[in-house]
Amino acid sequence: MNSKSKTGFIQILRSFGRKFSDLQGLLIAILVLGTVLSILSDNFLTGNNIVNILYQATIVAVVALGQTFVILVGGIDLSVGSLIALSSVLSVGLTVNNGLPPWLGITITLILGIIFGLAHGLAVTKLRMPSLIVTLASLSLASGLAYVYSEGQNIIPVPEVFETIGNAQFFGGQIPVFIPFALVLIIISYITLTKTRFGRQIYAVGGNQMASRLAGIPSNRVIVIAFVISGLSAAVGGLMMTARLQSGSPIIGSGMELTVIAAVVIGGTSLFGGQGNVIGTVLGVLLLTMASNAIVLLSIPPNYDKVFTGLVIAIAAALDIYRQGKNTTNMSRLKRSSSGKEVAKNSNPKTEQNNSNVS
Amino acid sequence: MSLLKANNIHKRFQGVVALEGVNFELKSGEVHALLGANGAGKSTLIKIVSGYHAADEGEILVNEVKIPFNDPKASHKAGIATIHQEHNLIPHMSVVDNVMLGQWIGRYGVVSEEECRKKALNAINRVVPGLDLDLYGHQLTPAEGQLVEIARALSEEAKILIMDEPTTSLSPREIERLFNVMRDLKSQGIGIIFVSHWLEEIFEICDCVTVFRDGRYVGSEDIKNLDENTIIRMMVNTDVPELSPQKRNPGKEILKVRNLCKDGVLQNISFDLHEGEILTIGGLVGAGRTELARCIFGVDDYDSGEVLIDNIPIPKNSPRAAVKVGIGFVPEDRKGQGLARNLTVRENFTLSLLDKVTHLGFISKTSELDISNEQSAALKVKAPSMEANIMTLSGGNAQKVVIGRWLARKPRVLILDEPTKGVDVGAKAEIHRLIGEFAESGMAVLLITSEMPEVLLLSDRVLVMREGRISGKLNRSEVSPESVISFATAEEVVY
Repeated sequence: MNSKSKTGFIQILRSFGRKFSDLQGLLIAILVLGTVLSILSDNFLTGNNIVNILYQATIVAVVALGQTFVILVGGIDLSVGSLIALSSVLSVGLTVNNGLPPWLGITITLILGIIFGLAHGLAVTKLRMPSLIVTLASLSLASGLAYVYSEGQNIIPVPEVFETIGNAQFFGGQIPVFIPFALVLIIISYITLTKTRFGRQIYAVGGNQMASRLAGIPSNRVIVIAFVISGLSAAVGGLMMTARLQSGSPIIGSGMELTVIAAVVIGGTSLFGGQGNVIGTVLGVLLLTMASNAIVLLSIPPNYDKVFTGLVIAIAAALDIYRQGKNTTNMSRLKRSSSGKEVAKNSNPKTEQNNSNVS
Repeated sequence: MSLLKANNIHKRFQGVVALEGVNFELKSGEVHALLGANGAGKSTLIKIVSGYHAADEGEILVNEVKIPFNDPKASHKAGIATIHQEHNLIPHMSVVDNVMLGQWIGRYGVVSEEECRKKALNAINRVVPGLDLDLYGHQLTPAEGQLVEIARALSEEAKILIMDEPTTSLSPREIERLFNVMRDLKSQGIGIIFVSHWLEEIFEICDCVTVFRDGRYVGSEDIKNLDENTIIRMMVNTDVPELSPQKRNPGKEILKVRNLCKDGVLQNISFDLHEGEILTIGGLVGAGRTELARCIFGVDDYDSGEVLIDNIPIPKNSPRAAVKVGIGFVPEDRKGQGLARNLTVRENFTLSLLDKVTHLGFISKTSELDISNEQSAALKVKAPSMEANIMTLSGGNAQKVVIGRWLARKPRVLILDEPTKGVDVGAKAEIHRLIGEFAESGMAVLLITSEMPEVLLLSDRVLVMREGRISGKLNRSEVSPESVISFATAEEVVY
């Protein structure tokens, strides 16, 4: 107790190291891929290309942040790709087709994302529907609505505000505004999950919902909010996509839910919930974006994009299983020692208290 | 003054009565045992008190104030903390977070690590000083996990601590430590409800005992006025059927089990089974009876020991070998392990007989029907047709199909694990009659059952298991509800 600050520091280091020790594999994968790419291509390690990778990563990252909350509580949100498309056509169309002011169109779009999330959360908690099914329905529904609303056409031109945002640059036109924006959201999510009561509740509910409920945590509310965050982040992703492509399109974002979920899972967030963090998600997004980038840099025909991404996911997942396998060995060691205790227990507690080989 | 009072609690689950007007009263500073056999309603009451279930009738009072049902948060606020049978830790959270679960301290929604740590340390020091606060939930031993849960209760300033079979997975030393913690809490005025099957523990730690039987309140008594016999008599139903008079004449030994051991599950199990005899294995759920059956039949592996048929050891870990030497096994979990759902009655009959109905690699439906019809008639299975879906049959008839599957092989040894579980009264009587007939025809029957009437009705001999050991061997003349329960729960036997 005499060196309180010192122990405190060591504890912080320890907990930090432990929190992110799971990410070593992912970091190594990123470094290896980065090294290989910088050897194979002179263009990889240029400022331009790195900014380009980060820029591409932002939209997936924002949507993946929301997905992380959902997966942490033990759910999954398949609807995000379609919600991106729906918010893209709505945010543009409400102004272009329906004459609303752009800020109102954007607000309505964001509210729609929230409503979808709310509906998912309520269906999961109140109707006890599996989130896989609920959001699979929304995947189809939101995509369909996007097509109906846009009549299958791209809606152009976009309102001026999208052009402004899409072209806004920081640092003398070097850094697109998306990058600091995503960074801010990443930091907010990180703080929410690690520092706030709500964050603890997310992990607790995902780790053991019954125990959380019995401990007085409003588990249903926590789950609903997680889905709302995901719905909202998908809507934001849709707005970003619209600004980047300068068009309201019903086809953008289609299939993106798989990339997003892959990024979260590669990032070490357990599909069973209760385990994972935002840093992992961000690294997962980076790895997948680098994989896409490699296709361009190495002039591999674009049709191989998915093949390559698939291989990256498979390798990352295999590394993850390998790592968890090592964890399990640790756990079974613990289990063995505890079952040894059970054997000790099977003898009469009163007469064999000298049977004390247990620590 | 009473700390906690449950008045006239009624609870049904889908029409099945779990509690029928039970009462319970806990005073501060006492450890109060809640006793009863399996299915007596102890767990149900605990779940109602902790806000997990709503009662259909009755009221729960804490310090004379009524608390709402099915509201875990309200129960917490009232000062009730429950250590459930299953561990309620969050596996990937630290000890600090597990102690502070749901009660994290902080301002504006931001958790203060330091204050949480301080408070958690405080609580941990009261029950398990020196535990590393940074360990994760899944890294703790069951004993440590339990103590963390108790620390959680203390940090919430719980006044009522409910412990549902807390000693089940603890070593003697750990139990001693737990009891010391309990005595300490008791002296601080906390009331503890303690559920355990082990009478010696009750006498060691408890001040007062309340007994339930079949969902009804039997009585409450000071421990000073009780002895084991009285408690056992309170726990067992006295109006069970008389021993049936008929007596079989067992033949020679056929199955021998010698020193069967399985780490943490079975300890040195030895017994013989004779032809034409029904040997019942009694005991509480979790005593290792099903595990024993599974080891004999080769479904599960065991560490050491032998299973012999006609003095020839049968290889372990091979149900195939067990079937070959004439053992049949009707498992406990009929729906999960006995029946192939959504297949027909015929297909379910021949599920383990495919070698007998296959000709040149093709299944002969004719031979399938022959076998099915024959067994169906012998066992009086009521099925719309042999082509009906098995799930349309009642529990009793479905069970007969599983039994018939083995009879078609003419087994010499038949192991039946809870054969009348979830079966209606009529079918139960028929299955009892069939089991008797099997034995009379010379088959050796090993019957596992938790139902006392069944033990009394059918057994030629009874083995009672407790915690993976055989705690008692009873001849027919010695079998009584009291003797079985006392071997199943108590260390010293008086009868």
